Amino acid sequence: MSNGTKHPLSILSEEAYQAFLELGFEIATGPEMESEWYNFDVLNVPKNHPARDMQDTFWIKNKKDNVLRTHTTTVTARALEQAGKDGRLPSAFISIGKVFRNEATDITHEMQFYQIDGTMVGENISLADLKGVLTHFYKKMLGDEVEIEFRPSFFPFTEPSIEVFAKFQGKWLEMMGAGMLHPNVLHNIGLDPKKVQGFAFGGGLERIAMIKWSIPDVRLFYQGDLRLNQF
Amino acid sequence: MKISYNWLKWYIPDAPEVKKLADIITYHLAEVESIEEREDGDAVLDIKILPNRAHDLLSHQGIAHEVASLLNIKFVDPAPKYKIPESKKTDLKIDVQTNNCRRYMGRIVRNVKVGPSPDWVVKHLEAIGQRSINNIVDAANLVMFDSGQPVHAFDLDKMENEKIIIRMAKKGEKITLLTGEEKELNEGNMIIADERNVLGVAGIKGGKIPEVDESTKNIILEIANFNPTVTRKSAQALNVFTDARKCFENDLSPELGDYAMRELSGLIFEIFPDAIFEDVVDIYPEKQKEKKLSFRIEKLISILGMLVTVEQVKEILVRYNFSYTEKEGVFEVIIPSWRLDLEIEEDMAEEIGRILGYKKLGSPIPKINFKPKPNELYNQILFTRNKLLAEGYSEVMSSTFRNKGEIEVLASASDKNFLRTDLTEGIKESLKLNQINSALLGLDEVRVFEIGTVFTKKGEEIHVAYGNKKEVKEVELEDYTKSASLDASAQVLGSPGPQPRPDRSHKHASSAFKMWPLFPFIARDIAVWVPEKIESLQVSKVIKDNMGDMVVRGPELFDEFKKDGKISYAFRLIFQSFDRTLTDAEINEIMEKITSKIKENNDWQVR
Repeated sequence: MSNGTKHPLSILSEEAYQAFLELGFEIATGPEMESEWYNFDVLNVPKNHPARDMQDTFWIKNKKDNVLRTHTTTVTARALEQAGKDGRLPSAFISIGKVFRNEATDITHEMQFYQIDGTMVGENISLADLKGVLTHFYKKMLGDEVEIEFRPSFFPFTEPSIEVFAKFQGKWLEMMGAGMLHPNVLHNIGLDPKKVQGFAFGGGLERIAMIKWSIPDVRLFYQGDLRLNQF
Repeated sequence: MKISYNWLKWYIPDAPEVKKLADIITYHLAEVESIEEREDGDAVLDIKILPNRAHDLLSHQGIAHEVASLLNIKFVDPAPKYKIPESKKTDLKIDVQTNNCRRYMGRIVRNVKVGPSPDWVVKHLEAIGQRSINNIVDAANLVMFDSGQPVHAFDLDKMENEKIIIRMAKKGEKITLLTGEEKELNEGNMIIADERNVLGVAGIKGGKIPEVDESTKNIILEIANFNPTVTRKSAQALNVFTDARKCFENDLSPELGDYAMRELSGLIFEIFPDAIFEDVVDIYPEKQKEKKLSFRIEKLISILGMLVTVEQVKEILVRYNFSYTEKEGVFEVIIPSWRLDLEIEEDMAEEIGRILGYKKLGSPIPKINFKPKPNELYNQILFTRNKLLAEGYSEVMSSTFRNKGEIEVLASASDKNFLRTDLTEGIKESLKLNQINSALLGLDEVRVFEIGTVFTKKGEEIHVAYGNKKEVKEVELEDYTKSASLDASAQVLGSPGPQPRPDRSHKHASSAFKMWPLFPFIARDIAVWVPEKIESLQVSKVIKDNMGDMVVRGPELFDEFKKDGKISYAFRLIFQSFDRTLTDAEINEIMEKITSKIKENNDWQVR
C-alpha cells in the first residue's frame, strides 16, 4: 500500500506554521463556535457594524450571542489574553483554522475557508516589524523572489490598518489585512495599551494556495475529491 | 466612489496625470479600483473609500483637498466664486421634534423654472454615472457629489404650508417614494413631513408628493444632518439604497451644512438669475464641538518603526491645515471638523505613516527571545495526519454545513442550515466520489480520512474519521492519538509522529495545479506478449506514440509475468476529454491502432 495523499491546505498550513515557528511564534488553537464577545466586541467592532448582520455572519439558533467565528483573530486574541494573565509577554501567536461567512458561494467565495491569523505583542513591536515578519512568511510560501508592500486600509481592530500585497510573478496581489492592534482591543483583553503594543494580521489560506498552484476555484477544496491532492 | 478627473482638476489644476494620481491615491489614501477613460477625454477613478474616511471623502472636494495636501499642490477654493444672492425675510418654519436630526437648514427659493441643466452640470454628473434629470434635481445631486453633503429640494406649492416637521414616523404611516414604491413606516423611520403628509424619509429618499417637476415654481432646499445609526436602520428596514443614505450612515459633520448651502444657493442662482431667495432657517441645537488631540512623536516612531522628525510632522500638519502647538515632541492639534476619524494618538500614527508612505518602512525581523509552548492539539493533528497518510489514507476536507444536525444556523445563504454532527457522512460521500475515479487515481482501493470539528448539543469536538468502502471509523482525535501512541510505544506523543515514506507513486509533484476534466473517463487495458528480452519501456513507447492526446493517465504497467521464454506486460490507459464525453467507438479505434502497431513487431502479440 502506498502512502495516502495530503490535502493542499494541510501542506500549506504545515509550511506556514513552520515559517512562523522559526521566528518564535507559538501555535494557538480555539473553538470554531464563538461568543459574540470574542468574535466582535473584543475586536472593537461597533455594535451596529454591518459585519454583525445575519446576512454576513452565521448566528446560532437557540444559542444567544453565539456565532461561527468569522476570523481566527478570536483565537489569537484569546491566546494574548491568557499570555497577559500568565505574565508571558512579549508573545507571538499564529493560528490557522476554519472560519465562516454567511454568503453565496462562487469561484472565490466559500461559506467556510481557512484563515491564517497572527499577532505579536510586546513593548516596541512596530509596523516595520510586521513587514519583516510577513516578508519572511511570504518568501517561505511563494518563493524568495516575492516582494511585499503595505497599502492604507481600515479595520476596527487595528490602527494604523494596512492591506498587504505580494508581488508574485510580476503582479501585485492582495493577500491579507493587518495593522497595529487598536488600543481598545488591547484594553479589552486585559492588556495596558500604555505599556504594550503589537501587530495583528489575517488572511485566507486558500488564497495563497490558489496563487501558488493556480487553483481556479475555491470550492474545489471542500468536495472530498482526491484529484485535488496533487502536491 | 466615482471621481471625475476633470471635475477634480477644477480644484487641483496641478494634479498629476490620471494614472500617476491613481497610484498616489492607492498608496497613500485608498485603493483605486478602476480607471475608466471616457470618450469626452475625462477619466473616472473608482475609489474604494474606507469607512473611517467616508465622513469626508465621498466627494470631489474632499478628494481634492486630500490630494492637494498630500502632494502639497494648490487647492483652488471655489467658495469665493459662488454668487451670493440677495435674501428676503422668510416665513418658513422648521420644527425639529427628534434629536436624531442634528441640524436642519431650509431655504425657500421662489420663481424657478424647471428645465434642462447647463452643459457642464450634465457632463459632471454623467461622468460619474448619474443621469441628468432636471436643473433643480441636478443642482442638488451636483452639490452632494461635490461637497459630500446630501441635498434635497421640495416643491413648496405641493406642501400643506410653509412648515417642515422632522419627526419619527408613527407605526402604519405610509409614503410613496420618488421611485413610485410605496413603503409602510414605523417608529424606527425618521421622516420629513408637513402638517398633513409625509414628504420624505430623512436622509434616505424623498417622497412623491412634493416632487419637483415641470410645473414647479417655488422650492424649499433642504440641507440636514441625521444620526448615522438611525439612518442606517431606517434604510435597512425599508430596503432602500441611495447615495444620501451612504453619506449619512457613515456620519457627516453637521458643520458641512453652511458650506453646502452656500454652494447650492450659488448654483441655483447661477441657473436662475431671476430667482428670489429667502433667508436660511437653520435649526442646529448642539453645535459640533472642537476636537483636540495630543500625540507624542516618540509614540509615532515606536508604532511605525521608522524615523519621523518633528519637522516632518509639522510640515504635514501645515499642509493639512491642522492648527497645532508643539513642545519637546508633544503635539497638540485641533482637528478639522470634517475629520471625524481622528480621535487617538494611533490615528495620527496612521495619518503620518500613510502620508509619508509605507514604502519607507524597513522590514526588520524582531529579535525577541520568545518562549513558545508546544500546542498539544496541533501535535495531535500532525501525528494523526502523518500516521494515516503512512497507512495509505488520503486526506479530504468536507463541508461543515449539512441538511440535518443538532446545531442550526440562522438565515443561511444556502439550504444547509445545520452543522455536521460527524465526519463519517462526508467521508462516505468522498469514498463514493473517489471510488468512481479509482482507475483515474490509480488506486486499487480508495482510503480517505478527515480531521475536523463536529458540533453536537454537548458542544464542539475534534474528530478523526477514516475508512474505505467496507468500513468507516470515527473517534475523537484525542482518543485516536492515545490509542495509536500506545500501539506504537516508541512514538512519543507530541512528536510529529510517523513520517510517511517518501513515495515515488506521486508523479504530479509539479508546481501548477491540473484541473480535471468534468466529463466521464474511459479505462482500457492492453496486455502484450513479447520475447523475454524486451523491456516494458519498449512496449509502452509504442503505446504512447499511438495513443493520441486524450490519455490523462497511463500507460501504467499493472501486471507482468513470464512463461515459456516470453513475458506478458499489461498496461492501463485512462482516456478523458476536457470538452466532451468520449464514445466507445472512438476509443476502440485508438486501441485498434495501438494493437496493429504492436503487431508490426516480430513475436509481439496482443492477448
